[in-house]
Amino acid sequence: MRAPIAWLREFVSLPTATNEIADRLAMLGFPVDAIERRPQISGVVVGRIATIEKHPNADRLQVCHVDVGAEKALIIATAATNVAVGQTIPVATIGAVLPHITIERRKMRGVESEGMMCSADELALNPEWFDDGIMQLDDDLPLGTDVVAHFGLSDDVLDVEITSNRVDAMSMIGLARELSAAFGSPLTTPTFENPGSGDNDAPSVTFESGDCTQFIAQRFDRVTNGIAPAWMRIRLALAGQRPIDRIVDISNYVMLETGQPLHFYDAREVHGGHFIVRNAHEGEALTALDDAEYTLTPQSLVIADEQHALGLAGLKGGKSSAISPDSTSLILESATFNGARIRTMSRVLGLRTDASSRHEKSLPPLLAQWGAARAAQLLIASGAHAYAAHQFGTAPSPAPVIEITEHAVERTLGMHVPLARIAMHLQSLGCEIRTETASSLTVAPPLWRRDLAIPVDLIEEVARIEGYDGILAVLPNVPVHSVSSAQYRLEEQLAQTLVALGYDELLTYSLHGSDDLKRAETAGIQTSHSSVEVRNPLSEEQRYLRYTLAPAMFLHLARRTTPARVFEIGHVFYPFGESVTENNVLTFGLTIDAPSEPAWKDQGFLMLKSDVEALILEVTGRTGTTTADQRNGLHPGKSATLLIDGAEVATFGRVDPRLQFAYELARPTYLAHVYLDRLPDRRIPHYVPPSKFPSTYRDLALVVSLDASAAQIEDIVSQSIGALCTSARIFDEYRGAQVGEGRKSLAIRIVLQKTDATITDEEADAAVGIATETLTRDLGATLRI
Amino acid sequence: MNQISQTLDDLVSRFSAAVSAASDERELDAARVAFLGRSGEITVIRRGIGALPSAERPTAGKIINDVVATMEEQLIREAQRIQLRAFDAELATSIDVTFPAPASRLGTLHPIRTMTSTICTYFERLGFAVVLGPEIEPDYYTFDALNIPADHPAREGFDSFFITDSLLLRPHTSPMQIRTMEQHQPPIAILAPGTCYRRDAVDARHLFQFHQVEGLLVAEGIHMGHLKGVLTGLCRELFGPQQNVRFRPSFFPFTEPSAEVDTTCPKCKGETTTCNMCGGSGWIELGGAGMVHPNVLREMKYDTDVVSGWAFGFGIERLALTRYEIDDIRRFYENDPDFSRQLR
Repeated sequence: MRAPIAWLREFVSLPTATNEIADRLAMLGFPVDAIERRPQISGVVVGRIATIEKHPNADRLQVCHVDVGAEKALIIATAATNVAVGQTIPVATIGAVLPHITIERRKMRGVESEGMMCSADELALNPEWFDDGIMQLDDDLPLGTDVVAHFGLSDDVLDVEITSNRVDAMSMIGLARELSAAFGSPLTTPTFENPGSGDNDAPSVTFESGDCTQFIAQRFDRVTNGIAPAWMRIRLALAGQRPIDRIVDISNYVMLETGQPLHFYDAREVHGGHFIVRNAHEGEALTALDDAEYTLTPQSLVIADEQHALGLAGLKGGKSSAISPDSTSLILESATFNGARIRTMSRVLGLRTDASSRHEKSLPPLLAQWGAARAAQLLIASGAHAYAAHQFGTAPSPAPVIEITEHAVERTLGMHVPLARIAMHLQSLGCEIRTETASSLTVAPPLWRRDLAIPVDLIEEVARIEGYDGILAVLPNVPVHSVSSAQYRLEEQLAQTLVALGYDELLTYSLHGSDDLKRAETAGIQTSHSSVEVRNPLSEEQRYLRYTLAPAMFLHLARRTTPARVFEIGHVFYPFGESVTENNVLTFGLTIDAPSEPAWKDQGFLMLKSDVEALILEVTGRTGTTTADQRNGLHPGKSATLLIDGAEVATFGRVDPRLQFAYELARPTYLAHVYLDRLPDRRIPHYVPPSKFPSTYRDLALVVSLDASAAQIEDIVSQSIGALCTSARIFDEYRGAQVGEGRKSLAIRIVLQKTDATITDEEADAAVGIATETLTRDLGATLRI
Repeated sequence: MNQISQTLDDLVSRFSAAVSAASDERELDAARVAFLGRSGEITVIRRGIGALPSAERPTAGKIINDVVATMEEQLIREAQRIQLRAFDAELATSIDVTFPAPASRLGTLHPIRTMTSTICTYFERLGFAVVLGPEIEPDYYTFDALNIPADHPAREGFDSFFITDSLLLRPHTSPMQIRTMEQHQPPIAILAPGTCYRRDAVDARHLFQFHQVEGLLVAEGIHMGHLKGVLTGLCRELFGPQQNVRFRPSFFPFTEPSAEVDTTCPKCKGETTTCNMCGGSGWIELGGAGMVHPNVLREMKYDTDVVSGWAFGFGIERLALTRYEIDDIRRFYENDPDFSRQLR
């Protein structure tokens, strides 16, 4: 909200420095987003045109005698065309400083000019909002009055942010009250007595909806519309509100001053002077003041007469009952609405106005009375007659009394504020102290502060006025508690380990368009899930939630120009009936330069497998077992699952070549998915002392059929030998002419050791003999010598 | 006897010549084997003792032993000489130490994780636990339990992505306050980092997906000074030991009193009025904080007469933008390897 400091000064005495005011507002919870620095103007006074003569030497110039309250009138030559005798106008006298010019004595075509009459532009006001040519001031201003000081033209304007709980502060009086409390300087408000009286033809109001809680209707006669006084127009302009005409300006002025939006109806157009607040009919049409057409639904609340809707409640008036230049009889509406209703309406209609931005926060009912009273005062000042205000609906009811103790303030803020100061701060904000003991107060919050309901609300008020800077920074003793960091530690450890293994971490969006899914389908790969859809996406590119981290990783890897290793830890989402299942997944992948190797070898796969095993061992302390597997997106003959205690903790393998092609991945690509939710808790390792006796080993070359797996052979060896075998590991594979079609040769190293003696060659040979026999029996293996 | 002495003299002088001529360990060892080895010359001479009269044998043996001792001493000296020469030779070599090394094999953490773990480490040191939670939340955890009832204007401030009428992508990490308090009795001391989503139009400062870190401390005797203390410590951890923290009053439905948290601009320290980081105000906004609203604690069936607490929620990208002086928030999602490498 734009707040001209000059306007605030009407209600409270403030420091000269704008920054001091802005800083204090910020520390009260009203940050100043911007400061409009006004130019420093001086030497401009109120003058009245006494005479006008034609310039002797120039057709386009006139020479005026201007009375500025001094002994001698000033002679001023002007090219302005809107001057007339008797006009009250701003005069820049010799030496005056205007935004772009300093006024000096000078001759205009032979006539000595002793100053300049000013236009709005020359006073740094928006010229489009004011009279063409010389600006017109009010006739009741004493001549010689300093124009700049009188209208506060050099006082800066603040753009103040007001939090949604403080609708009471969305006004000049509201902000002035805050500053009054903060600076300890008294607040002077106008009287809120409504001067209207009597009415034989009083308007009436019927509530058909509970969303209007109060409707003050007041009739005015003998209204002459026209231009508002200069002081009002200037204030509105400084506040960023364009002056229109007297009636519109008064309603805007009162709204900015008190916070209460008002609406005036042409009394002739309110059938029977009877207002009905009701839901709009389905399809009901309304033309607003600005000619916009609305087709309404019952979601909208309207102010209607007995015949049709007159306006959108709390948002905007309608055209049919708008004030026209010949309107002389008006009815004022000053109402209180249910904020939620106005907010919904505003959203549905896509219409937000100065009025709705206040009404949508549920205005305090008291403000409706203030608003009507101020409007009546201003209308009377313009010569209108005001009848009595009629209040319909619920009158403002006092909020419950709240108790606040010195102890509670200290317990919450960690700052001691003596009870007397607590009382002083609360009173400065309009609270009433009802009772007082040595350590506590009972407090009635003011009617305009509906946000103050419980003790802690008052504590915040005390803190705001005392100043948040008074809160001292101390460290708490954090007590022992039962919450565990295990899940976070796991993620950290995974990330750290992968970094050590050479992987770069990625961070990609969870939301994506359908393209990513289509690529797989186009490539001939059935997608394994459907996607969770967002109801209100920002764009089609963000309509779906990912169910795999792979596509984003592919897109990244396709951009990398050299072999890369990357990982991402993130959430993935699957539809689950009406709900959603969410999993935490780690995906890591690598690309390699294509090696030349036979089809039955894949070193990229082994690189990936090495990292999968290292990672799982690091975070779980377990090795798990690997089995061949087939997963969508991975090469069916080159993918595997890692199981721990029967749970699939990871799947990994080479990316399906069709997918690799679809994502334009130039290099063989390998991917591993680790399902974090399935990883077993880390085991606490227990130490087993090594044997004191040396080990020995035997290397065998076994020829087996192609379908025998390395894991099978290792298992048979270690199980058939038993405890003597400390390790059995395949370390080489050969296929080719020497072993024949359908067979392969595997080299295995068997490590043997005893815990109670040095193993002898005979014992080792016997053990290996058993293993060989078993391999021959179970797999038809032969030894290759 | 004399003959043996003479032979030995000759042998020693040949030995001496051979070992002093040896230029490396291999030549030295060859000389040792030739003279002192199992079938070397000394062994041959020893075998000759048997042919001597028995009275002369002990003397002859002693003479041979003395000679062998002298030879072995020389052998050690020569070995040392060769070793020293080898050192000299090695020490005389040099390389171009500025020649580039192979690229590091270490990967990089994403700067958001680095930032998050820096924050978490600080809080873990204070005794906080770090908890993680889902990104899709029911509205109860997101709003209702946090004192934001259905028609509350503040709901609109969290412009959220909805999945169903009541499920949404969390617009803040505050649901973790509720999830934790539901499962644990006080005291509670947690930090909850995580991904959040809001329907924000994308620009250099805003993204529809971002990270927050939520802090919650609920225990007996907790007040707002503790909040300021802990956050001052955090800012010093992140931005340097001179940092200060300023609270400004604000409004959040789930805290009361509420505060906006600012810290000294780490770039200009508040000493210039033209700083492009803080706009000359000298302060950087970190996020919201405050004392947990009694309605939230009561919803969790906590006794507000006994325990009190505070909470805060900061944007991690915002902290990282400030800490690393990054120009555009979208950089975090571009995954340019150079970006992460620079910020490691």
